Amino acid sequence: MVEIKNLTKRYGGNVALHGISFDIKDHEILGFLGPNGAGKSTTMNIIAGYLPSTSGTVTINGFDITEQAADAKRCIGYLPEIPPVYPDMRVEEYLTFCAGIKGIKRPDVKPQVESAMERLHITDMRRRLIRNLSKGYKQRVGFAQALLGNPKILILDEPTVGLDPAQVSEVRALIKELGKDHAVIFSSHILAEVSAVCERVVIITKGEIRAIDTIEHLERSMTANTLLNLTVEGEKDTALRILKDIRGIKEIKYLNAADGRVSCQLTLEDESVRNEIMSALMANGCNIAEMSMAKLDLEQVFLKLTAQKEKRSSLQDLLDETPDVSGEAPQDAANDTTE
Amino acid sequence: MFALYKKELQAFFYSPFAYVLTALFMLIFSFGFITSIANMDSNTLKFSFPEFFYNNFFYFIFIIPLLTMRSFADERRGGTEVLLYSSPLSVTQIVLAKFLAIVTVFLFMIVLSLFFPIYAACTGKVIWSALICAYAGFFLWGLVCIALGMLLSSLTGNAIIAAIIGEIVMEGLLFLDQVAGSRLVDAYPHLNSVVTWFSMQRRFVYFSQGMFRLEDLVFFLSVTALVLCWNVLSIEKRRYSHA
Repeated sequence: MVEIKNLTKRYGGNVALHGISFDIKDHEILGFLGPNGAGKSTTMNIIAGYLPSTSGTVTINGFDITEQAADAKRCIGYLPEIPPVYPDMRVEEYLTFCAGIKGIKRPDVKPQVESAMERLHITDMRRRLIRNLSKGYKQRVGFAQALLGNPKILILDEPTVGLDPAQVSEVRALIKELGKDHAVIFSSHILAEVSAVCERVVIITKGEIRAIDTIEHLERSMTANTLLNLTVEGEKDTALRILKDIRGIKEIKYLNAADGRVSCQLTLEDESVRNEIMSALMANGCNIAEMSMAKLDLEQVFLKLTAQKEKRSSLQDLLDETPDVSGEAPQDAANDTTE
Repeated sequence: MFALYKKELQAFFYSPFAYVLTALFMLIFSFGFITSIANMDSNTLKFSFPEFFYNNFFYFIFIIPLLTMRSFADERRGGTEVLLYSSPLSVTQIVLAKFLAIVTVFLFMIVLSLFFPIYAACTGKVIWSALICAYAGFFLWGLVCIALGMLLSSLTGNAIIAAIIGEIVMEGLLFLDQVAGSRLVDAYPHLNSVVTWFSMQRRFVYFSQGMFRLEDLVFFLSVTALVLCWNVLSIEKRRYSHA
């Protein structure tokens, strides 16, 4: 549906995007994730045809965004970060105007405006001046504008920013529903939000893609990486033998042995295995010198990914290469140490 | 494109903006009219509308930047330009729609000002051919100024700055007209011919004499088209270097 190849954007001497490539499939909700200033909005502006790229191509439903701009733009509904509303217009008047510039045929304008207002629950506000609406309602009016013309692709730039919690969940539900018959690209800097709504996620930092992966992989990487750093007093072979016998330990990574102490890192199925490990070691006369564990939460995964210097193809690759997660997040609540 | 044209017109007429500006235009017109009538030559009792236009350019010139100042600056400031540039409309269509809307408001003002010649016709004799010619010249001059004002509005995100720079540029154009006739420029025939060619007021003189020359028509229309193209290019350029 949307294909982005080697997209580069320079602002004078600054490079905002370094040759990023990804695609959006039909009926897919793609999350576009990154910290502020990562290049999310720039990418979305380029896809929507607002800004031209320095190099690279964006193909929308088979139309190139620069070569066949009008055809490509007809397939897009765009909600920018700041809703592009005219404060002096009334809601209905504004939506009718938007329908007009999108080239919607006259007999279709009224029904489309009505259905967009109904979907966003702003029918009651139709006669109100946009300047008098709250931020949440302005956002909804902007959203309604993006739905006009029933575009195949919806580009939503941080659609939940500034909304109250009830509105946030409403908008999320709406995006999920829209994903059934549109391709949706949706940006956010809140990972939990993306995981609640999207099927696939693109993580971007400093104009480069860090990872493109499905949410299942993301979640699996969260649960699969309950890591335990363990230091035991005793012989290396004995300690490792005891650990091997315990069910629930998925992987044992031997780190080092010095001064009669053995250090290793264990990957656990879940936290409950921890007690079993403790009792098994104690029963065999191995004293535990140190035990610390950390469960990666979504935010940590995100922080890890965005702090990485090199590009990775999947989240799992990345997490496999970051064994010292627990050591790097000592302030985390999930971290607890037993001596 | 019609949707944008309509929206622009609504922005003028649903707010006091167009009415206040039209009132200002009419005020300048009527003050000028009264003064000219009062100073009429008592021997001939002749009053010339073309001359009146010519003498009051300095005042009318203030109106145009006020009309054009918001055209692009407000879109940029309010973040609504995203809506326009991500719509299927091309930049050329956007510029044309906005231009035509402002031209319509300008026409509205001109039509209202016809009150004075009509009133004059009721009490005396009006040479309509010369009057229509003068109005055509004034309208064409207005087209160039509107295009220029829009260009300046597209260069800034602040409507007030657009208006002030607009006034300065319009004054500059008037100054060019003065320079064209000065001895300083007369000393250099080549320079003089260039300056004279660009001088809009000198071209207006022909209209005011009841001469509708193709050359002048082409001049005004081509300068308007040129400035509008410049406007399109300046917007495109800014999108490429947008930061």
